[in-house]
Amino acid sequence: MTDIKTRIKTIIVEELNFEDLKPEEIPDDIPLFGDGLGLDSLDAVELVVQIQKHFGVKIQNMDEGRAAFRSINALEAFISERLNG
Amino acid sequence: MNGNPPPRITPPVKRWTSRSIGSRLQHRIFYTLIRLGGTCLAYAVLHGVVFYYMALRPSIREKTRFYLSKRFPRENALMRFMDSFRISVALGKVLIDRAKVGIRGPDAVTLSFPDERRLFDLLAEEKGVILMNAHVGGWQVILPALPLLGRTVNMLLERDAQDVDLHYFEHARLPHPFHIIDPRGFLGGSLEMMDALHRGEILCVMGDRVFGSDKNVIGIDFLGRPALFPFSAFNIASAIGTPVVVFFSHKSGLNRYVIDIPDIIRIPGGLGRSAEAFRPYVERFVRALEAYTRDQPYQFFNFYDMWA
Repeated sequence: MTDIKTRIKTIIVEELNFEDLKPEEIPDDIPLFGDGLGLDSLDAVELVVQIQKHFGVKIQNMDEGRAAFRSINALEAFISERLNG
Repeated sequence: MNGNPPPRITPPVKRWTSRSIGSRLQHRIFYTLIRLGGTCLAYAVLHGVVFYYMALRPSIREKTRFYLSKRFPRENALMRFMDSFRISVALGKVLIDRAKVGIRGPDAVTLSFPDERRLFDLLAEEKGVILMNAHVGGWQVILPALPLLGRTVNMLLERDAQDVDLHYFEHARLPHPFHIIDPRGFLGGSLEMMDALHRGEILCVMGDRVFGSDKNVIGIDFLGRPALFPFSAFNIASAIGTPVVVFFSHKSGLNRYVIDIPDIIRIPGGLGRSAEAFRPYVERFVRALEAYTRDQPYQFFNFYDMWA
């Protein structure tokens, strides 16, 4: 597991009030929203804010968000690309 | 880990619908009356139609009681009937005025907006503006004024297939002047709303409406009893630093409406995910709405049971 993935999972657990969940229990490929991890629209807003705060990466528009928020893997790839680009 | 999220406590949310009361034919009859006889003829017929619904369709009358029983708790049956009639006529007049704007153009009504300068100043901050409206006064009649603010106007709008009311631009067959954000869309439209505000645009939301899929609601006393209000827009405002402008209007004369800004709510960032963090800000909106019902008791048209 890369460091970015761990940090994303820690953000989800600590900032989105998943106190009963440990970061390492979140699968990399589970959908973040809907039937997967069950995040909702409010979580999406908070996640956008936290990604910017922790990684300095802005999710600029809905298309970026739609792609990045598919899973932990997708979000990690999005952040890595922005950090390395 | 089975992939299921841990349980979160969410209040029950009843399904809201924008289904129209009258049929498409009934609406067209009124449009014809406006064209042929103007406002006064349409208003006159309206009184008869409303009396029919009030007297013979108790289920329609019941819809007004959710609000009226809280606003006027000591009324007897006759007074309640009269108030149901009065508030229904007031709503009908607003709908007629909206149609009139579409049929005869924006000059068919006179809009007064004493706080217009404040709104331009807020837009100049380039963090967008959330206009938080409610089902009061002429919220649909004043729509033609919004494009005049010079920014793209986005509206969070869920429209029922059985909603046959025409907006003013549909009457006039004009291009849609607003960008509609559907709360049933991806992530409740939240990312789309953030996009718009990042571009410095205007976002119109209803502060007194809970959409069926929105679980992000908070219970706040309204007219003496806890009612449910959504707080997602406050969350977005906090994330971006956007001011929330409480944006009400009322019918002040035969063809006159006044637009008011009773409060501008600034929400600090970093409030997190908890509903309680947003309570003081939602409460300010609710207090403004309560004050509105004191000043304009018969121009509150939210017939959904917010207190359920």
